[in-house]
Amino acid sequence: MSDIYFGTDLFSEFDRLQRQMASLFGGFPSSIRSGRSGAFPQINIGSTDDSIEIVAFAPGVDPKNLDLSIDKGLLTISGEREAAQPEAAGDDARTYAQERFVGAFRRVIELPQQADPDKVSARYANGCLTVSIGKQEASKPRAITVQ
Amino acid sequence: MNDTTELARKGETAAALRESDSSQRRITLMPLVDIFENSHGVTLWADLPGVTKDRLDVKVHDGTLYIEAQAVVHTPAGLRLQHAEIRQPHFARAFSLGAEFDASKIDANLKDGVLRLTIPRRDEARPRRIEVHTG
Repeated sequence: MSDIYFGTDLFSEFDRLQRQMASLFGGFPSSIRSGRSGAFPQINIGSTDDSIEIVAFAPGVDPKNLDLSIDKGLLTISGEREAAQPEAAGDDARTYAQERFVGAFRRVIELPQQADPDKVSARYANGCLTVSIGKQEASKPRAITVQ
Repeated sequence: MNDTTELARKGETAAALRESDSSQRRITLMPLVDIFENSHGVTLWADLPGVTKDRLDVKVHDGTLYIEAQAVVHTPAGLRLQHAEIRQPHFARAFSLGAEFDASKIDANLKDGVLRLTIPRRDEARPRRIEVHTG
């Protein structure tokens, strides 16, 4: 096949197609609070034996405009992203693309039972908000000795 | 960071790129962009969350602007991913640049995971008002 197809990045096209299909058929069942996929900011969630790790990909957000709260087992990340203003925008300024998210956002994550709301740390670096939530002692994996 | 590790990493990336060029291409995400133009040139903003300066490659080759980047998010060891909306840490997008832009004067700035590129127009390509004399 000619490189002209691959040159336009077939895989990201594929990804886009997949997202469109998911939006047509509803995709996998997800939490009622999770919102549509592709919402800003995008979120990855993982866990270790000791903690639950949440990464929100929120580039270009002023940490001052970022609010984080935990209430009744729900972690809410909300804030606002300001529009990128073209420098010295004159009256001849033209816009060709405006794909980046602008405005207020809110994402809610349902935390598992074992999350300890008193052990939370959050950090914003390079446009990523990393939230680490400790697990309650009782829920940590333990080896059980057989007698 | 010393020079040797830096060199080693560069070698690695070069090898990875060569590999992807030949057979399997790396799956990449297309960063979202805003593009504005005024009489001075074009300003491009691209969302590259988790990307640091040393993992970002902006280049112009044969009139095409390439933006390639890798996101690195520090997570504790032994992490099991449970839900992922961003599955690939590689970003790539390319734009063709007209000859009216001065590729040698592109300015790139990366802050909080947002890349801002200012691509100036060549002086001779800037719109000019021409005085009309009567007489």
